[in-house]
Amino acid sequence: MSYEFDWSSIPNAAPFLLRGMLVSLEITAVAVLTGIVWGTALALMRLSGIPPLAALAAGYVTLFRAVPLVMVLLWFFLIVPQFLQELLNLGRAADMRLVSAMVGFALFEAAYYSEIIRAGIQSVPRGQIAAAYALGMTHWQAMRLVVLPQAFRNMVPLLLTQAIILFQDTSLVYVSALTDFFGAAYKIGERDGTIVEMLLFGGAVYFVLCYAASQLVRYLQRRLAV
Amino acid sequence: MIAIRHVTKYYGEFRVLADCSTEVRKGEVIVICGPSGSGKSTLIKCVNGLEPFQRGEIVVDGVSVGDPKTNLSKLRARVGMVFQHFELFPHMKVLENLMIAQTRVLGRGREAAAEKALQLLERVGLRAHADKYPGALSGGQQQRVAIARALCMDPVCMLFDEPTSALDPEMINEVLDVMVQLAQEGMTMMVVTHEMGFARKVAHRVIFMDQGRIVEDDETECFFSTPRSERAQQFLSKILPR
Repeated sequence: MSYEFDWSSIPNAAPFLLRGMLVSLEITAVAVLTGIVWGTALALMRLSGIPPLAALAAGYVTLFRAVPLVMVLLWFFLIVPQFLQELLNLGRAADMRLVSAMVGFALFEAAYYSEIIRAGIQSVPRGQIAAAYALGMTHWQAMRLVVLPQAFRNMVPLLLTQAIILFQDTSLVYVSALTDFFGAAYKIGERDGTIVEMLLFGGAVYFVLCYAASQLVRYLQRRLAV
Repeated sequence: MIAIRHVTKYYGEFRVLADCSTEVRKGEVIVICGPSGSGKSTLIKCVNGLEPFQRGEIVVDGVSVGDPKTNLSKLRARVGMVFQHFELFPHMKVLENLMIAQTRVLGRGREAAAEKALQLLERVGLRAHADKYPGALSGGQQQRVAIARALCMDPVCMLFDEPTSALDPEMINEVLDVMVQLAQEGMTMMVVTHEMGFARKVAHRVIFMDQGRIVEDDETECFFSTPRSERAQQFLSKILPR
């Protein structure tokens, strides 16, 4: 039994695949940045000691961590586009899939980032906050000037690892037929009848990128440990 | 300068401070000692409001610490504190450690803050280390930087929470020397320490605490020659060289 691999679709479809990769990277970048900002806000709310804020943040994190990512994405594909179109008075034709994918990922990832950031904040010795207070800093100044810079330094490897997972998860946008890298590879495979080759190729690309990124994380981990 | 009146503090059911009262006049140096768990660190942390207390009153330079209307940050900016584990900010260079609160809390310009910082580093003998990170300094050096950092704020009084107990023996004196000098210049100081040599040399009064109570509050001479309570006698006999 032998199978003749046909790799000819790849060079021909290179521009299309590249555009797909850009979509994947765009979603990842937006979701990581907004996820970290919103996640930091959630972590600060959770640790604020103000009961309503802490409960709100805890509820948010629990909700998003207890629902499968695919479902969250589907909600956002089905609900957010209509909502935004009404709100911004856009035509029906406007393609909101990319935006809703970004929003969905950002809100979902924020829940995970907030837990990483919360642990990072708690890893800074309490004496540091006491010292900041003793110098007359307010709670917010102590957080911003003393605690968060140290927390983020400790967290860089974990945040990057989470970004790598997120990059892989962006392939889930196939549920909305949005053409990310995985979607592009799949479509080409279907068109040319080379599904097996394209899926192998796609997997190899994800592997190379993620493996390289995780090596970078290990390098950073060693450097920051000093 | 500092008045502590009938201060009582609980951690849940456990009473850490029981009806503590004392007074520190301007320019006075008070040493607080006692066995571990006696509440001495907790007491001085109540003075700048780092630890809340349930009953009683503490007034620092005319400001009531326990009053919910008091702006604690503003009060703390005028009360220097030095911690057992130094608590320098490890992500900032020494100079930046000394400037950050001056610029962000007092609103001083960067140049004035840097000048003040260098002047105080000079005073603790560490001007040459201004551009290093705290991690590159020895424990004794870090604690001297921490003292300089507190002095940058022009405090009306200084609180020391076991400033030498995390140090290797050969570094204790360099820190005590700075503190002695400060005391002799007339700084109002409350010092939690077991360094009885320091107490003998510069303290006006010694407070002995046990189980959350102030058991003795005496002139330094009296405290060492004729401690009244049995508990203080035992404590002294254990830590003083015969």
